[in-house]
Amino acid sequence: MLHKRTFLLVLTALLLATPFVFAGGDGEEAEGDDVITLTALGYVDLTNEITTTNWEELLAGWEEAQPNIKIEWEYLFGEPYHNKLQSMAVAGQLPDLVFLWPGKRTGDVTGSGLVKDISSYVSPVADQFAPAAIAPQGANGEFYELPEQVTATHVMFTNNRLLDELGLDFPETLAELLAQGDVIRDAGYIPIAMDNKDGWQMQSCFLSALVARTGGREWLDAARVGDASFTDDEFVDALTVIKTLFDADMFSPGINQADYGEALNAFAAEEAVYLIDGGWRTNELIKLMAEDAHEYVSYEVFPALPNEGGLPGATALVAGTGYGMNANLTGAKADAAWEWIYFFAGPEGSAIKATQGWLPAVKMDLPDTISPMLVQLSEFVNNVPAGYVIDAVMDGEGMGVLHPAIQEMMFGSITPVEAAARYEEWVAANDSSR
Amino acid sequence: MSDITLKNKELVGWRIASYIFMAIFTLLTVGPLFWLTYSSFKPHADIMQQTFAFPRAFFFGNYTRAWEIGKLGGLILNSIFYSFFGTIITVYLALGAGYGFAKFGYRVSNWFYAFFIMGLLITAHSVLVPLFVMETRLNIDDTRLGVLIPYVGFGLPFMIYLATSYIKGIPSSLEEAALIDGAGYLQIFWRIIRPVCQPVTATMLIFAFLSNWNEFVFVFVLTSRQEIRSLPVGVNAFVGGLSRDFGLLFAALVIATIPMILFYIFFRDQLMKGFAAGSLKE
Amino acid sequence: MTTLGNKRASYALLTLPSVFIYALVIVFPVVFSFVLGFTEWSGFGAPVFTGLSNYRKMLTDLVFLHGLRNNMLIVAVSVFGQIPFGFVLAYIIYRGLVKWGDFFQTMIFLPITVSAIVVAKLWNQFFSPAGMVTAIARILQDDPRFVFAIFEDRALAIVPVLVVILWYYTGIYMVIFLANMQKISPAVIEAAIVDGAKERQILFRVVMPQMTNILFTTAVFAIAGSLKSFDLIFAMTGGGPANYTTVIAIYMYLNTFKYYNYGFGSAVSIMIVILSLGLITLIQSVYRYFEAKYE
Repeated sequence: MLHKRTFLLVLTALLLATPFVFAGGDGEEAEGDDVITLTALGYVDLTNEITTTNWEELLAGWEEAQPNIKIEWEYLFGEPYHNKLQSMAVAGQLPDLVFLWPGKRTGDVTGSGLVKDISSYVSPVADQFAPAAIAPQGANGEFYELPEQVTATHVMFTNNRLLDELGLDFPETLAELLAQGDVIRDAGYIPIAMDNKDGWQMQSCFLSALVARTGGREWLDAARVGDASFTDDEFVDALTVIKTLFDADMFSPGINQADYGEALNAFAAEEAVYLIDGGWRTNELIKLMAEDAHEYVSYEVFPALPNEGGLPGATALVAGTGYGMNANLTGAKADAAWEWIYFFAGPEGSAIKATQGWLPAVKMDLPDTISPMLVQLSEFVNNVPAGYVIDAVMDGEGMGVLHPAIQEMMFGSITPVEAAARYEEWVAANDSSR
Repeated sequence: MSDITLKNKELVGWRIASYIFMAIFTLLTVGPLFWLTYSSFKPHADIMQQTFAFPRAFFFGNYTRAWEIGKLGGLILNSIFYSFFGTIITVYLALGAGYGFAKFGYRVSNWFYAFFIMGLLITAHSVLVPLFVMETRLNIDDTRLGVLIPYVGFGLPFMIYLATSYIKGIPSSLEEAALIDGAGYLQIFWRIIRPVCQPVTATMLIFAFLSNWNEFVFVFVLTSRQEIRSLPVGVNAFVGGLSRDFGLLFAALVIATIPMILFYIFFRDQLMKGFAAGSLKE
Repeated sequence: MTTLGNKRASYALLTLPSVFIYALVIVFPVVFSFVLGFTEWSGFGAPVFTGLSNYRKMLTDLVFLHGLRNNMLIVAVSVFGQIPFGFVLAYIIYRGLVKWGDFFQTMIFLPITVSAIVVAKLWNQFFSPAGMVTAIARILQDDPRFVFAIFEDRALAIVPVLVVILWYYTGIYMVIFLANMQKISPAVIEAAIVDGAKERQILFRVVMPQMTNILFTTAVFAIAGSLKSFDLIFAMTGGGPANYTTVIAIYMYLNTFKYYNYGFGSAVSIMIVILSLGLITLIQSVYRYFEAKYE
């Protein structure tokens, strides 16, 4: 009779669990008249203590500012975020607020008509923002998100204490940089910390700036539509710089096996003289490095190449990410959604984020209390000439061709010319801009 | 284990080779897990600096912090819920279907059976998008039911294989006698087939529980609310994180790993039986 | 007639719930994929019928072909690695050739209970450029820039993955074999020993013949599992560097969930099924051939 008892037990458990199973989905019907509830898909790394704490402060500020708008958050980060966003879009089930990129990264979703064009909300406040942030995101001048910041994808973070220790100065040219290699390595340091296991880092944080140097925005504009080719010298020369540095052992050893973050750790531990990464690392460097290091880490651009026919001394800039809203929202709900979008990127949210090491897109005086590193980043973004970030203007799928090609080029199985030809072949056949 | 052992010289060589073989496997398994476990009691800085050293003092901060920011408590309850109900439902459905396919002699059984076996070839990823679209249409996306159904669907092929091949090996005389006594088929299933199937049932339960516990993709794609997600999804957040606090990461990994190791050690013997009987007769 | 009706109704009650759920979760989506495989679809708007062009594109893509090659190596490791290893380990324990058989059995099975994400993360802790094995190797080699070159070699980068796969899955085969060996009547083996059989003869003449059926069955599972393998490799290497360690399932995942080519991704997933069926048919005919030869 043991079986009967087990069976009864299971049956009872099943019955008890039934309401549990169906729980969720809708709900939230019973609420006050003047409270608006929005659902949102947020881009926060919950396991990163630094960003999580920052985010909680931001939300506290929001709740104080808008007690009558309740937002139900779901958080994802990295690739999982994009998978989820895409699945939701395909099913036509976007939440009210979504986190978006200005360029191609979320282009499928913004191009689907599921995200509202918020230009009518943006234009009245446009003059509060840095001009680089207020660049139209759709083909017909649409805005899908309000950028929280302007992002420099290429910064050559430099540890000047180590440079002094080694008796070196920041190099003016590529040749001078290469000449420093032996000194730095002999002292047991890594010349340029970088990690490229995922492949995007080399393209976004380095190649984009190099192409800005060799060709500038004009060349990439031409190459994008087919008036120039990725087999041109502009592109091949840029690739060759990477190959030269790799062959001269200038990068972190095993650069193509290292997860994103290993290089940051090495630089923060003062094991590397230079770090090539995006400006967004400022926030983490401030937290990871000792107070006095904030004074001797400087923000540089990569030294001059022999042939800078485009924008000499350039970095690469892209308008930042921000929140956008579901196209189905109208009336009070849409206004409420805009309140969050503007809070997040506008003066209020930016004031909170600036104290945490984020450089806002909104024009504002930076508080005196902020780290000198953030001041440097601000000057860097405002003063350094900048070209495009390649993956913001070219199709994401093509990066699946370009990134491995760059890695193979470093391994020596193909030449820079072959790598360029491989990418051009893909772009000519598939890229949506051609 | 078998008691009959040879006692001759030839065996010495076999024994030595066997011990080496076993020792290598054991070392490869225990070493990393042991290191993972004791490292999880060290703060991040210590892990980075003295990678192999034992913790100087047992530091529980990683666990409390990981538990708190990863909200692991709720995730564990959800994991238990999905694993328990997903397993029970799958196993009993599979036993029923296995009885039907093995004993009823309908020709359509062969078709059904072949259909289920084909399911072993399907990757979860290839059904994700259609499944997600379907669940949103049925309004069961982002609910626990919406997670349980694919768990059951994907568990069925292997479970039905185990159940059917086991039940085929049960002598038909048993149920024929009961039929003559006037018992119905469902009564036979419950009173005769199910008890006789106990060994394979144990195997099925344990195996299904293990795979449901570690399942990741379905919960990840088909749910969005934190309250209904499961442990692997929570742990993945630590793995994917950029902060790279190894102490937190290791604590989360240990929390995800230890329950299943204990579960396996506890139910080890039952797991074995069904695999044997499962192929009594093909 | 009532018994017949009763029989039919019972049959329906026993089997249809499973069939229904299975159809909902697997059959319908697979049919959907099959149809979608002949189209180009980004997820929005109507799919465009393109005939076999997805399959043509796939079979001429070097990345797919390299993934196929890696998959075939995984199949080889599964069929000629995991199964023999599992068999030998089971035999050692079954025959009591080592003491603490229970302990070793637990240790060998243990990896299966650990999720693939944990295994991959541990692996990276040991072998990445910042990992501890690399750190030790740097000291031993007296080269502060030492890294394992095997991970950057187009032909060999998959080898470490194969080793982990071998370690990870052998336990399950061992358990299956061991369970079936324990069914062999002890009298048979005693008789063989009395007849003066050597250990090798017991293995090949007594135990092996009783295992052919289960060997075949496990080979089928190994093939099916190998062609779908994804989690472990994706978490370990993501298919990189430079697609050197990619497999078909990763190729499918990237095309579907990163580049949003749902039509193409569907075609790749159908290709996985076709390849599995092909290999299983092959192994079935090999099995029939040997079966016929033995009898």
